[in-house]
Formats: sequence, structure tokens, C-alpha cells
Amino acid sequence: MKIVTKAFLRYLFRRRSLSVLQLLGIACGVAAVIGMGLSARSALSSFNKAIEFLRGSSTHLIERPAGPIDEKMLAQLMQDPSVDFFAPVIDRRVRLTDGEAIHVLGIDPFLDRDIRPEISRAYFAEMGRSEREDHFSFFTDERSVLIDSNLAAQLKLGPGSRLETSQGVFTVINTFKNPSGEPLILMDIRNAQKMFDLKGSIDRVDLIVNDEAAFRSRWEKGFRIESKRQRQETLTALLYAFKLNLQALSLLALFVGTFLIYNTAMFAVVSRRRDAGVLRSLGARRIEIVAAFMTEIFFFGILGGALGAVFGYILSRFLTEIVGSAISTLYFFLKPSPQPWSLLTLAAGIAFGCIASLLGSVAPLIELILTEPVKAIRGRVAYRGGKRKAGKIALIGLGILCAAAIFLLFSFYHVYIGYAGTFVFLLGVSLFTGFTIMFVAPALKWVFSRIGGIQGKLAVANVRKNMGRTAVAIAAFMVALSMSIGLGSMIESFRHSLIWWMNSQLKGELYVSTKGDADVPEDFYEEVKRVPGIGGVDTYRNVQVTFRGAPVYITAINASILQRFTRFGWVSGGNENWEPVKQGSVIVSESFSRRFNIKKGDTVTVEGIEGAVQFPVTAIFYDYTTEHGLIMMDRSTYIRHFQDRTINSLGVFVDPRYPERDKVIAEVKKRAQDRNLPTATRSELHNTILSVFDNTFAVTRSMRVLAIIVAFFGIAGALMTLFVERRREFGIYRALGFSVRQIAGMTLFEGIGMGLVSFIMSIGVGTALALILIKVINLRSFNWTIFYHFTFDPYLLAGITAIAASIGASLYPIWKVYRTYPQIQIREE
Amino acid sequence: MRRPEEQKMKRMESRISRSVLPFVFGLYAERRTFSLRLRYTICEIRNTTLAKNLCHTLFLLLLAVLVCAGSVSSADWEQAIGERAWSFPRDHGSHPEHRTEWWYFTGNLADKSGNRYGYQLTFFRHGIERTPKDPGNPWSIRDIYLAHFTITDVSGRKFWFAERTSRAGPGLAFSDMKGLNVRLLNWSARMVRNVIHLSARHKETEINLELVPQKPPVLHGHKGLSKKGPGEGQSSYYYSFTDLATTGTIRTPLSKQPVHVTGKSWFDQEFGSNQLSSDQAGWDWFSLHLSDGRDLMLYFLRRKDGTVEQASSGTIIEKNGASRHIRLSDISVDILGQWKSPKSNGTYPSRWRIRVPSAKIDLTISPYVPDQELITEGSAGITYWEGAVGGRGTSAEREVTCEGYVELTGYAGNIGGIF
Repeated sequence: MKIVTKAFLRYLFRRRSLSVLQLLGIACGVAAVIGMGLSARSALSSFNKAIEFLRGSSTHLIERPAGPIDEKMLAQLMQDPSVDFFAPVIDRRVRLTDGEAIHVLGIDPFLDRDIRPEISRAYFAEMGRSEREDHFSFFTDERSVLIDSNLAAQLKLGPGSRLETSQGVFTVINTFKNPSGEPLILMDIRNAQKMFDLKGSIDRVDLIVNDEAAFRSRWEKGFRIESKRQRQETLTALLYAFKLNLQALSLLALFVGTFLIYNTAMFAVVSRRRDAGVLRSLGARRIEIVAAFMTEIFFFGILGGALGAVFGYILSRFLTEIVGSAISTLYFFLKPSPQPWSLLTLAAGIAFGCIASLLGSVAPLIELILTEPVKAIRGRVAYRGGKRKAGKIALIGLGILCAAAIFLLFSFYHVYIGYAGTFVFLLGVSLFTGFTIMFVAPALKWVFSRIGGIQGKLAVANVRKNMGRTAVAIAAFMVALSMSIGLGSMIESFRHSLIWWMNSQLKGELYVSTKGDADVPEDFYEEVKRVPGIGGVDTYRNVQVTFRGAPVYITAINASILQRFTRFGWVSGGNENWEPVKQGSVIVSESFSRRFNIKKGDTVTVEGIEGAVQFPVTAIFYDYTTEHGLIMMDRSTYIRHFQDRTINSLGVFVDPRYPERDKVIAEVKKRAQDRNLPTATRSELHNTILSVFDNTFAVTRSMRVLAIIVAFFGIAGALMTLFVERRREFGIYRALGFSVRQIAGMTLFEGIGMGLVSFIMSIGVGTALALILIKVINLRSFNWTIFYHFTFDPYLLAGITAIAASIGASLYPIWKVYRTYPQIQIREE
Repeated sequence: MRRPEEQKMKRMESRISRSVLPFVFGLYAERRTFSLRLRYTICEIRNTTLAKNLCHTLFLLLLAVLVCAGSVSSADWEQAIGERAWSFPRDHGSHPEHRTEWWYFTGNLADKSGNRYGYQLTFFRHGIERTPKDPGNPWSIRDIYLAHFTITDVSGRKFWFAERTSRAGPGLAFSDMKGLNVRLLNWSARMVRNVIHLSARHKETEINLELVPQKPPVLHGHKGLSKKGPGEGQSSYYYSFTDLATTGTIRTPLSKQPVHVTGKSWFDQEFGSNQLSSDQAGWDWFSLHLSDGRDLMLYFLRRKDGTVEQASSGTIIEKNGASRHIRLSDISVDILGQWKSPKSNGTYPSRWRIRVPSAKIDLTISPYVPDQELITEGSAGITYWEGAVGGRGTSAEREVTCEGYVELTGYAGNIGGIF
């Protein structure tokens, strides 16, 4: 190894603490990216595996446009020459006692054998080998189920165990292997029909078809036929917005991570100016210096990257859990299994660490190469002309902000452009850091000198004077805090909008059953209507259908009841919008309207049981139940076109003039209980929705924390560098009679000062970010309007975080001060 | 089965399995044990490896049988007791009061260019609960239907096998009580005015055949009551159409298009409520059409100890339809060759010299295609060999050729699945 390189590497050991911080900084940056990336991948691959597993080797499926199919069609299906195999499926969910909704498949193991051989093999093997008395209990015992081994392990169940669900207690007769992350309960088709009250009906048929065109020509009318690929697309489309969200969070992690590594790498170069100068004046060539720097950068990049990959892997195991639970509450129950450790992860970590380090060191390296050795030998120089330079950089930042604005304006093309705009915006405002420091320094100096006297004053001056070091750390921290404020404000606004929406739409006094639980028998609906004191009962039916090749939902309700008892959030108009709905028109959700560019007065065409049906759209309403879009119609219209009388839940409204309201509610509750139907009062339902909402944003929240941890290392690194570089100054301070306490206080003020500047900047930037997230990103990803709602909490949280993190980051440098300051002597002067 | 020797079978048949696994195995055993009419000692298995293999297979099968026994009381089902007043075509149909029943078709066919084919199409019905739990729901299981379908392309030296299983469900499988009309998904056998229509399709294999009986039904045992053990009810009702003129089309992955074929088929129907005994190793069954118009059925039940069960027997059906039983002592069979299955590792006999001196029959037969092995992972969970055979020899001192089907079980054990 070259002497120069050796000299450089030796330095790393001499400045162990700084090296460790630098390493941790890179590692944290890499970990954030790897962790988020891996858990996003886990979730999506688990999801794909679940689809793959459930679909088995079927090539197509056939179902009604909405609701179940009469099972008599199977006898015709089996005669169809283009059908090789078919398997009827009842596809439902039950809730476990902890509220998780688990997929239940009602299958016929005989017919299913050719579609899902693994499952039936497990079943038949069980039947042959088990020592139970009755080999046919799977068919004959209505409560017998097979559950997948992951779920069994999670719930500590085995053959013979009892499994409590919303549909009563099941007897687990055995478990089967399920490579996908989606827990699964299997039961015989007869038992499933009985349990879900589906006499003579099935949900769909999975098929192996040998001639698609011929098959379609015979079966297209009144049915929906989906090929394997289409099914995959439909289900993937369901997760689209969520996937986007995960990608955005990964990008955010990438952004903050790069920032941090950049920061670290830049310190490495800047703090070595003097050494480089010395070496050059001793005769080292430029190329040798560059090589030495490169070695050092790569050394950090590789080591930090590798460490980051390991951290990231560990992190991903936590994040995967959170991501899984968010998917579970929003879409379907999924327990993603974490991605296995692979060398690829390590390689990605190292590559990322090296590339970001390289990027971070390019500019300072070029500067260093161009610097005269004599100048360089003076080492760290005071930041002369800082004001002008900061102004210049701010001007560049302004340019970048303009670019960001253009990106954001064009975000209607694709939400990715919106994301790009957001990141460019953050980059742009970061460049204002120096400018802001110059700007707020006098005020800060005044405040700090009041609190901390001379140390406070000096601290502010130090932060300002060493802007080359401090600005990047402040910027990184500011971005992290802004993210925290922006995401926090967005979530709060969203929550507020949701509450408003619930109060306008969900005004029933009692809800019987909810989607995902048991359906409500029609005669129960009739029964409830006759309870004295009832003002009206709304039937709710929600089905997924395909509109222009994308999954959307149809909701069937009682228009006249809703007109009387609720007040929807209409985009325009009022409750008179219900009038045409009673006559067969539909209303669509805002997300539907935006997604498909459907306006009031347009018509939507949906496949009904008798072929395509056109519905005029009479109004658009705000809705946050699904980002895919919702078409709402009266129950009579729905039954006419889809011949599906299923009711998912009832909303019960008490006659406002009836004196004993509580009695009415209690009566309905009792009757529902007799039928084993769950009920929820309005406030219970609202709370459930809010908890789903909060669960959804758990991933986002965890990313906020991550960003702050990453930024914390940035601040700590910057403080350490300042400390290491200013030993000579410390000598002067000592000569001037500064005590250890005072120096420690100064270091603390420097940290707090940096934190404060970051926080001050993040107030504005975070608010802007919140608006971007609400008005651009959310609108583009989910197609719904969130109304901005100011709350103080995110700002308070960010302020506390800023102070706490900067104090925390100062602790180590302060400890160093206490340990080394007393020995520092003036050597050079 | 009224001979005193049959008492020896008592132990063998004392265990009655009552579930599907033993059913499937038992089905064959029963089917073949039903047809035992003669005492026969010749077919000793000298190959010790073979015997070992067999014992192993048997062990597994029997283990399963013993484990499975005793779940559902067979008392729910009517036993085959006493003489039956046969009434055709009604008795071609289903007998749901009995627990197990099957309709069994095999045939040897040829197209215009002389390419030869073999086929097997078998339907089984096995009762699970005589009164289903929820009779209003078609998915509620009363019976399980199973079917095996094979085609052998002799010229192409290929063999294809498929199986189906289903409960009755909403019109997925049924067997009519009025006459022969049995269906399992898209496979069916139906008799309309003395013509049996067979139809089955699995991917690229397909048959559509019409079978016309040339001889009246042959009642086995005592007027169709075929005793298989000394106990009351350890019997079944059993008859056959041994000579069915067959025409129709056959399609294989090699032919792509349906090929017109003609030939002869064999049909067995049997029903009862009791099954397998415990010390059987397997059986060898032969059904042969001789070119002089005679048909020959032989059956050898192999015991675990390597000897042949005395109950083994045969039936000879003359050209005019008259039939007579052949005792075991009247039959001599030499195994002339063996074939080892690369898939199951089972070693099967694959060439035989069959002599029935009392009928002046001396034939040497061999499989048209060595590999006609069915590995029924999905439905029966057992592995057996059933295939088209052909040969030549003498019958009543005249040169004859013969064609038919041979079934060999218990040579390769596989009870991985149940159905």
C-alpha cells in the first residue's frame, strides 16, 4: 500500500470515535433504505405468493358480476369441452377473537385436487394416516377445518384443537403447509354453505380451460371470466396505492440515507484538508492523495454499507410486521414472512454505501485538489465570505425549488412525478440552510447569550463560522423534522376529514354485522323493520366489480332511508341528490370520479347478470372507504341488475319522535344476538374505523422515527468533527481561562443551536410538505380530497425531537470534552 | 363358495374394512374374490424378492385397513344374502342399499389400418353414510364416486391413465337406479335399448363407444350370489357381459383426431357391502376373448405367505353364451416373464402360459405394452397394473388367437393417498 494511503488509514484509528460515528452514520443511512426496501418486498412477494398459492394451477375463474352463483351451473360446466378441470370455491372470511379477518375457503377436496394439489394432498394424507375414528369428519362434521401450519403455530393449535371465530368454534382436524403469507382455513363446501347461509350457491369456480376463446363465447353472458393474468392484475391493482406508499417511504429512506452518507463522506474529506496539504508539500502527488481519499471513502462505504445491510435486515423484520398489519387492516389478512438473508442484501448495502459516499465526497475532493498545498496546509479555515457563498447557494436552491414547482404542477401525469417533485423540493430547501443560519444567527446569538452567557454566544458563532460542516447536518436534520411535521400534519388532516365523513355518512344508531363478518339474512332485515320505534333500516351490500378493467366497488343501499337520516358530503348539491337514485341512477365517490374522469351527468357501464348496464351518474360524494372508487345505487336497482339479495350489514335508524330510543336499540341488539350477528353502536363503529386508520399509518410513523434516528447521527457526527477539528481553538480557549464546564456548555449550545435552526426551518418546510402530500401526493395516489386541518401536535413533537436529539447528539462530544480538554495544550502557537 | 375348503378363508376375510381406503383396495379384492370359483394351487410365487415386496405392500395396506376399520357401521347397509331375483335392465343400474358397487369396462379395439388399442373405464360407488347428514344439500355426502380411465395405444406403445373422484354434488356424479346410467363428471356409461354408450374425456384422451352385448349376462357364483367368505353377508352380487361388440371413436395424444375403432369389450358389475380380508397379498385376473368365440375369466388370489388361495377360480363362457365354472385344480398357469416398473419399482409377471385341460385350452399371452401400470395417487392410493394383452394357443384342439385384459395388484405398494 502506498505510504500516503497508509497515513490516511492510520488517521482513522487515531480518531476512533469520529470514525465510529462516521461508520454508524453510513450504516444507519443504508439500514433505512435496506430495511424499508426489504419489508416492502416481503409484503408484496408474500402477497403474490398468496395469490399464486390460492389460485393453484387454475387458468381461469368464473363468477357472477356480483354475488354468488347458483351451483347448478357446475353440471353444465363439467360438460363443456373446453374445461379440463373445475373446482367450486366459497371464498369468505371469519374473524378470530383478536379481530383479525382470516380467509376461509370452502372447497370440495375431490374436485380441488387438480386445481390445488398441495392442499388436497395434505387433506387426503391426513385422512389416510390419522388415527381418528371418523375419516370423513371433514365432510360430516360441520365444524371441522384444516388450518395452515403458520396460523397453527401462531395460535398454538394442533389437530384436535378448538379455534374460536366470529362464526363459532371450529375443530381443527389437521394443518397443512402454506408457503404464502396469508393465513388460511379450509372447510368442506357443504359446511361452508351452511355456515355462510349459502344454500345452493357458491362464490366462484376455479378452472383449467384448454380453449379460452371457445369457453368465453359460451359463458360470457351473465358471468365474469378472469384469466390467471387478469386475476393477478386485479389483485395487484388493489394494492397499487399501498405499494406506491411503500415505495415512497423507501424513497424517503433513500433520500435521508443519502443525505446522511453524503454528510459523513464530506466530513471525511473536509476534515482532512490539512493532512492532505502536509502530504502534498512533502511531495505526494495529487493522484496519490485522491487515491488515499478514495481508499478511505471506500473503506467506510464498504464497512458501513455491510453494517447497514445487517442493520437493515434486522430492521426489515420489524417493519415487515407493521407493513403486514397495515395490509391486513386495509385489504386482506396477510402475514408477510420476512425476506431471507441473502448476500444480495449485503451487496446492495455495500453498493449503496459506496455510491452515496462517493457522491458525497466528489465536490469537496475536487475543491481539495484544486487548492494550493500551502492553503490546504493551514487546515480548516474559517468560513470566510460565508454570507456571499450562502446567498449563492440559496439562489441555486431557489432554482431547484422552481424545478420542484414544475414537477408538482405536472404530477397529474403520474404520481411518480409528484414524488420526484417532493424530493426536489426538499433538496431545494436544504440549500437554503446556510442562508437561514446567517439569517437567524443574530437572533439566536441574542437568545443564547441571555441563557448561556459567553459559551452560548460563542456556540452560535461557531455554528455560523463552520457552516461548511454544520449546514449539511442541519439540512439533513431539517429534512427529517420536516418529514415528521409534514407526515404528521397530513395524517392529522386525514383523520379529521375521516371523522367529518363518518359523522356525515355513518349516522345509524346501531349497525348489525359489518363487512367481513356474517351476512345478514334477509328475513332478519324484515324482522328489524317491524320493531316498534324503528325509523328506518338501511341495507348495506358491498361487492367488488370490474370497471374498465380495474377493480371498483358497488355499494347497494336504501336511498330513501339515507336521504332521510344522513347528510352525505356531496361535492355539489345536497340530499336532493338521492331522488334520481331511487329511480335507478347512481352516485359515485370522489375517488371514482377522479380516477375514471366521470362527471355528474355521465353514465357508467357495468356488467350485470343480463349483460352491460348503463347507469346515469347524478352526484359525486366524498368517500374514504376505498381508493378504488365506489358506485352507490339503491338496493332495488342492484337486485334488478345483479340478482344478488345478499346483505352485508344493516344500519338501524330510530324514529326521532319515538320516546324510548334506548329500548329500541336494546331490542334490535337482542334480536341480532339471538341470530348470532355482531352489532356495533355508532360510536363503536367510528372507533373501529379510526383504529383501522391509525393502524394504516403505523408504517409511516415508523419511518418518521427512522428519519430522525438517521438525522441524529448526522448532528452527532457534525459536532464530533467540530470538536476534533478545533482542538487548537480549545487550546486558545484554555489559555483564555475557559473551564471544562464552559467548553462543555458551549458544545451543548452548538448542538442545541443546530437543532433549533433545523426546527425553525422545518416549521415552514414541514407545513409546505404537508400541503404537497395532501394536495398532490394523496390526491394523485388515492384520488380523494383531504381537507387541510392545522394541528399543533406535529410541530410540538418536532420541536421536542429537535431539542432532545441535539442534546443527545452532544452528549458524546461533551464527554470527549471532559476527558480530553484538560490535557489540551497550545502547541502550535 | 360352498366347498369346505372355503372355511380356510374365514380368517382371511374376517376383517371387514369400512372406509374408503380399504374400500378401494377391497373393491378389487372383493371383485376378484367374488369371482373365485376354483381351488387352484399352481401359481406359486417363487421369486422371494417378489414375495418380500408383496408382503411389504400388504403390510402397509393392511395397516391402513386395520386403522380404518370400525368407523362407520356396515350394519347400515344391506348385505348380499341369499338368491337374488335378477331383473335386467333394472339390475344394470345402481343398488344404493349396498355399500359398494362398480361398473367395469375393458376392451380391445382396432382401427381400419389395423392399429390396436385397449381401454378401461371403471366406475365405483362407495357409500359413506346411508342417510346423509343433510339430505337437502347435494354436497352432503352419501356416496363417493371414483373412476379410472385408461387407453393403450398398442402400435404407438403408449399408455395413458386418468382418474376422477367426486361426491354426487349438484349433478356431478350419479348412478341411476332404473338401468345402467352412471356418470362421474364428464365420464359416463349409459345403456339405451340394449346398447351401452361409453364416453370419457381427459385432456387429449377420449373415448366414445357403443357396446352391444353378443351373449346374455353371465351370473357368477350361485345365480349371481358370489360368496367371498364363510360368514353371512360376506358375499356380493356379481354378473358380467363377457362379449360386447364395440364400435366408436378413440382419441389419444398421438392420434390428435378421433379414430374410428371396432372390437370387443367386457363388462362386470358387482355390488355388496363387505370388503377385504386381512391376509391377501393381491390378485391376478384375466379376461380373455378367444377367436373361436369362447371367453375365459380366471382369477388367482395370492396370499401373504406366497401361496395361492384355494378359492381362486375361473369361468368359461362358450360361444353360445353357456358358462361353467372352472376349479383351481383345473387350471395351470406358468409365469414366463417379468417386468419391473421404473416408476413404482414393482416387479410384475408379464408373460403367461395358461392351460385349462378340461376345456382343452392352452394359451400363451403377454402384454401388448409392458407399461400399463396405474399409479392412483389421487383416487385409490394404490398402484396396480391393468392392461391389454394378446396371445395365441389352442382351444378345443384348434389354433386360436386371443385378446383381453389382465389385472395385477399387490406388486407395488403405494398407499400415499386415499382416493
